[in-house]
Amino acid sequence: MSRVAGRTDWAEEEDEDSIQLPQQQIIKNKDGTETIITWSIREDGKKVKTTRRIKKTVVKQVVNPRVAERKQWAKFGNEKGKPAGPQTDTTSIAENIAFRPMANWKASAEDKSEAEKKKTAMKDAKIKCRICSGDHWTTKCPFKDTMAPEGEPSAAEMDNEAQEQPGALGQGGSSYVPPHLRRGGAGAGEKMGGKYERDDLATLRVTNVSEFAEEQDLRDMFSRFGHVTRVFLAKDRETGRAKGFAFVSYADRSDAAKACEKMDGYGFGHLILRVEFAKKST
Amino acid sequence: MRPILLSGHERALTQVKYNSDGDIIFSVSKDHVVCAWFSHNGERLGTYHGHQGALWTVDVDPTSTLLATGGADNTMRLWEVKTGKLLKTWDFATSIKRVEFSPDGRQLLGVTEKRSGHLSTIVIYEIEPDVDAEQTNEQSLRIVCDESKATVAGFSYLSKFIIAGHEDGTVSQYDAKTGELLLNITVHEDDMQVTDLQWSPDRTYFITASKDKTAKLISTNDLEVLKSYSTDTPLNSAAITPVKDYVILGGGQAAMDVTTTSARQGKFEARFYHKIFMEEIGRVRGHFGPLNYVAVHPKGTGYCSGGEDGYVRVHHFDKPYFDFMYEVEREQANL
Repeated sequence: MSRVAGRTDWAEEEDEDSIQLPQQQIIKNKDGTETIITWSIREDGKKVKTTRRIKKTVVKQVVNPRVAERKQWAKFGNEKGKPAGPQTDTTSIAENIAFRPMANWKASAEDKSEAEKKKTAMKDAKIKCRICSGDHWTTKCPFKDTMAPEGEPSAAEMDNEAQEQPGALGQGGSSYVPPHLRRGGAGAGEKMGGKYERDDLATLRVTNVSEFAEEQDLRDMFSRFGHVTRVFLAKDRETGRAKGFAFVSYADRSDAAKACEKMDGYGFGHLILRVEFAKKST
Repeated sequence: MRPILLSGHERALTQVKYNSDGDIIFSVSKDHVVCAWFSHNGERLGTYHGHQGALWTVDVDPTSTLLATGGADNTMRLWEVKTGKLLKTWDFATSIKRVEFSPDGRQLLGVTEKRSGHLSTIVIYEIEPDVDAEQTNEQSLRIVCDESKATVAGFSYLSKFIIAGHEDGTVSQYDAKTGELLLNITVHEDDMQVTDLQWSPDRTYFITASKDKTAKLISTNDLEVLKSYSTDTPLNSAAITPVKDYVILGGGQAAMDVTTTSARQGKFEARFYHKIFMEEIGRVRGHFGPLNYVAVHPKGTGYCSGGEDGYVRVHHFDKPYFDFMYEVEREQANL
């Protein structure tokens, strides 16, 4: 785009540019379609060639003769002399609206808004899983059986229960007694959420995942080796970006083994994946 | 459905109307200009220039040859639909809030505003339904509303009655020949203005919208309230849909409060209620200001709404709209 020196009127400058463009070309194809080639200049100054192939279908419609006559009326007022068809300055098409009448609309709408409210309330609360740093409670973590919590595997704030067993306190200065040592050390402590007992034998831990990865990308990649029951991609709560590691569970351990072998070292995004079997939390 | 967005006005829309065949939409706004649009594609047919003030109302005669408008420049004007030519101007002491043709197109009704020294009136002119004819200056009837000012009015079936809605929430029935007040009934809450009155296709009943957040379906003969639709926002307009038994209500909080509330809370949606079961069945969003008027295509294939945001949105209903039925309706249809 050459800027004409000494001219300040941008409107005329535009005109000069459009003159240099090739004329619109319309080619009639053998199969009845038309190819329209138009040229334009983009905002960044690049010349763009647009090729459109269109097929015209004549739809015949019986209309009221009065209506048909009115369609032929000449335009007047501000529209005087304008060509037929809607003008872009006054008429545009809005985005699609799904309108589906339903009985009991109000109740269903209220339900929706209530659910939304709950969601936002959850969002505001600071919840962080100690295992995967996701925004859920540690007990709800899908990997609580397969992974140990990040860092120290201790539950420092969970000592309310300990006070109920005064006999177990006061040993060696620290008042905290881990749950599995309570009641005379009998029993290994109950597992929380026992019904979510998962077959961690078929779960893979994938690390060095690109931070732009999506769960669906992983699912697509890993479902090549067998039925994937679950994909979990750890994401940062603030930015929504991946944290760099994920878990993939298979229905079958042999599929998992195959995937582990094939996908370890696979290039995804700009990084090389590291895949291994998830270690069971102790 | 994909609404067509008409952006020919620079200020808030005050009324939109379909002609009797539903192919043309007329819109008036506070920007002094009347626009005519083709309803099927949103193409603007033309504009009518001449008014010196905000326009409040528009109506077209049944043959789509004459157009009447009224506005804040204290005039009521008659136009030729086809060319945009001004045919006649009637001057008044106050602004015109509502105009309406009679069902046969031979009478034109105007509602004048109340202002210091002037009471609100409903005036009627005999109209020659011919573009070249000289229109009369003489009012064939003049009804003075001394109790509470009239805000809306219209002709009943066969031009037998004139029904008017008032500022105090009442609806009154006048004899269209003599102008005698036959009935006056409080249908809306006290001192809650009736903002709109639209007819059923046969004009034996009508719907009123009010600032008291309700719309009422009222019979023409005895002004009995047949149905009541309550919402959570002041209503500006209500329309009855032919073909399907629905009503469409439009509203939103007052224009002065708009800037302080978000579009989400503003309730700027067209609400669809089932006419008989009085239950809300859906909403159509899109405007970012209150809806000042909703008009339904006379064949029931679509509707358009004019908003305080200056846009007219033309909607063509699609299949789910026509398919929807209540269980009892479906049973009835299958019999």
